[in-house]
Amino acid sequence: MNPQGTFQLPPALSEYAPRVDELYYFIFWISVVAFVAICVALVLFVWKFRERKGGPTKGAQSGDHHALELFWTFTPLILLTVLFHWGFKDYVAAAVAPDDAIQIRVRARQWAWEYEYPNGMITPGELTIPMGRPVKLVMSSDDVLHSYFVPEFRIKKDVVPGMYSSLWFQAIMQPRRYDAQVYCAEYCGARGDTGGHSAMLSTIHVVTGSEYEEFLREGPSRPTDLQTDTQWGELLVTQNNCLSCHHTDAATTLPAPSFAGIFGRHQSLEGGGEVTVDENYIRESMLTPQAKIVRTYTAIQMPPFHFSDHQVDAIIAYLKTIH
Amino acid sequence: MSTEAEATLPTSDHTGHGTGTSYLDASSGLRNWLITLDHKRIGIMYLISVLLAFAAGGIFALLVRIELLSPGRTIMGAATYNQVFTLHGAIMVFLFIIPSVPAALGNFFLPIMLGAKDVAFPRLNLLSFYIYVVGAVMALASMVIGSVDTGWTFYTPYSSNSVVGSQNAVIWMTGAVFTLGFSSILTGVNFIATVHKMRAPGQTWRRLPLFIWAAYATSVIQVLATPVLAITLALLLMERAFGLGIFDPRIGGDPVLFQHFFWFYSHPAVYIMILPGMGVVSEIIATFSKREIFGYMFVAMSSVGLALVGFLVWGHHMFVSGQSEYATMVFSALTFLVAIPSGVKIFNWLGTLYGGAISLESPMLYGLAFIVLFSIGGLTGLFHATLSTGIFLHDTYFVVAHFHYVMVGGTVFAFFGGLHYWWPKMTGKMYEEGLAKWGFALFFIGFNMTFLTQFVLGSRGMPRRYYDYLPQFTGLHQFSSTGAFIIGIGILLIFVNLTRSLISGKKAPRNPWRSAGYEWMTPTPPPLENFKEVPVITRGPYDYHLATEAELSEN
Ligand code: HEC
Ligand SMILES: [Cu+2]
Ligand SMILES: [Cu+2]
Repeated sequence: MNPQGTFQLPPALSEYAPRVDELYYFIFWISVVAFVAICVALVLFVWKFRERKGGPTKGAQSGDHHALELFWTFTPLILLTVLFHWGFKDYVAAAVAPDDAIQIRVRARQWAWEYEYPNGMITPGELTIPMGRPVKLVMSSDDVLHSYFVPEFRIKKDVVPGMYSSLWFQAIMQPRRYDAQVYCAEYCGARGDTGGHSAMLSTIHVVTGSEYEEFLREGPSRPTDLQTDTQWGELLVTQNNCLSCHHTDAATTLPAPSFAGIFGRHQSLEGGGEVTVDENYIRESMLTPQAKIVRTYTAIQMPPFHFSDHQVDAIIAYLKTIH
Repeated sequence: MSTEAEATLPTSDHTGHGTGTSYLDASSGLRNWLITLDHKRIGIMYLISVLLAFAAGGIFALLVRIELLSPGRTIMGAATYNQVFTLHGAIMVFLFIIPSVPAALGNFFLPIMLGAKDVAFPRLNLLSFYIYVVGAVMALASMVIGSVDTGWTFYTPYSSNSVVGSQNAVIWMTGAVFTLGFSSILTGVNFIATVHKMRAPGQTWRRLPLFIWAAYATSVIQVLATPVLAITLALLLMERAFGLGIFDPRIGGDPVLFQHFFWFYSHPAVYIMILPGMGVVSEIIATFSKREIFGYMFVAMSSVGLALVGFLVWGHHMFVSGQSEYATMVFSALTFLVAIPSGVKIFNWLGTLYGGAISLESPMLYGLAFIVLFSIGGLTGLFHATLSTGIFLHDTYFVVAHFHYVMVGGTVFAFFGGLHYWWPKMTGKMYEEGLAKWGFALFFIGFNMTFLTQFVLGSRGMPRRYYDYLPQFTGLHQFSSTGAFIIGIGILLIFVNLTRSLISGKKAPRNPWRSAGYEWMTPTPPPLENFKEVPVITRGPYDYHLATEAELSEN
């Protein structure tokens, strides 16, 4: 087991990861041996049989070597069978989730992940799970293909619109909480200058059992390494890719209203009326964006974000600082 | 077939001026080139086109590598980046690699190696060139209109309702690929007919040059697989244009179906791309070892084997796509079979070196590089075929590195090897050997810097098609980009060297490499009708012990 990672592989943070690593290194060393053998033979032959002044100008005649040919045609099959079998065995282990796994619903859309816990709580952008317990993700997509990829757990599965796909893992026990990085691995586009597919990241917080129970009761809380709500708000805005639509400079007002100077701004709405942007309006804009639509912004719809009260506070605190 | 010569290959007289004038001097003027039915001139026109495509695709590759020099924005926005990598992939695959060896070198040399005057259907041949040109123009049009950002794989439902770029750009680009497919099919049909019907007297199947075997196997795949691509793209166009629900789940389609269709073509297409390259390498290794190819029949049959197995493994691109677990198991098992014929080729090339009289001119360097780089490409394929590691590495830089080792380390190196090998015969000019070696060395070093690095990026978890990346990947990305620039300089050197040879190169002798191959028996450059009289083949193309001193001499 290698929770630190190696030159080639990231830290192995799931129970399954070391199995993949073992096979990875098995193939790696076989490949190294085969490759070195080929190169040595090549260099040796080229050197030994180089054309020399006064030497033969033609190569030797070949003749038939059926036994040799059949030998190198069929012996690799043995190795290939071993590889297939080994890979398949591990694949099956990774395919079937245990019955007692914690079920998490994962919803993907361009370009954010959203998680729903067994108690109905929803957290956009980051997932919190207990260490040492099997977790099963049941995933769906609202728009195009995405792929849920956690290198530290050595797992990946496409998220396909129109069907559910699933994935399971068990994070290893560690003395204290740790994180795993999630990527979208299936190309899903981008808009303008912002990352899109490459910014469709997410974090898995792996916590102890009691921390997880507390999380389910209290909802997400500010990461311990951040001092203020403003910082947390900024993190949430990046994590959830708000900036793929909203910009923080006043000049860029498409495809969504700029965040610059948003707080206190007068905004006219679709279907008449006007509002002054205050805490309540921002809250409503995030939780139920279709309730009030800013005038002319009908081309694309903002999806609802299920933030907790504390997260909403943090985002509002952050938005107030953008001028 | 009335005037048959003596039972030997005709060689040119020593002045180099045979009875037939060279194909280059047969007629002049642009018009005569554009309406030519001569397979050699068509080959040259293809060559110019694919080299232009290669230059364009290469520039897009460099733009990608420049953007990835630092995380975040370096020179362009994400949407632009997505268009640039799409254009790099689509141009390289459809406009360069697929036609490179078969359509450019194959058109020129297939009939000559068969001892034929031309391909079976010269008019069809010209038509397929112009269809290629139309396809290329459509691809250009898509760039002007607003560019495609779907990746060269056009995965649905993104491609059927992508909002970035322009709606019509996707239609133009898929239309272009659809059109290019027909060019590919026609060339395939033509080659198959030519190999069956136009072989010179005495040229039995056992005496076919391995390049012909490879081209033949390739043509079979082209004819069988390309229609599936055409159907897929036609369905995609209908979905986009008329809203038929085929692949888009919102209107009742199935996105995974598209992937099945697409890879049913595109995996065999990998062999359309690599087999001709292997054929070139067999020719080069034999010539520069002055020796018959070890296990000739095994090498020939391994081409056919690859062509067959190539049809049964498309699902290995879809291990994580949500296809059934049973399908995944079967595709993994079948994929391992690909290793067998690939290994057979490597072993037999090494066997050919053993006991040869080896000289290391620049074409041979490309040939040997192919063995080394293709081995890396093949061995890293094992990581992908094995299910658990394959799923981990899928859609990361590891797979990007893997297929560049196969497609560039394999096909492109073979193409440049073939270009250097046959350049004297095609143009009648010798390039400068020293410069050719420098170009090769830079290309080889730069290539390994660029793509060995990407294996590590991938195994550490860097996903592909990423505009932006986490800071921990910066160093590796910068190293990889540096390698890409070295490749760029190498390729530039190669282009300069070859172009210069046209202007000031020494006159090429009939047989500069003292090869026993059939194509070297005719004058340089070949006469319009390829041979002065219909050749009668009395020995295999690699029978150095049967070839006469006159045949093996330079002039
Ligand atoms: C898919 C694009 C998109 C994303 C992603 C998005 N929004 Fe929006 N947002 C919009 C659009 C369009 C509007 C204007 C229409 C409306 O009011 O619903 C809007 C409006 C708003 C408003 C009201 C602005 C005003 O000037 O009245 C706020 C506040 C807001 N979004 C916050 C957020 C936050 C916070 C996030 C990230 C958690 C986010 N948005 C993500 C598209 C988006
Ligand atoms: Cu994505
Ligand atoms: Cu494939």
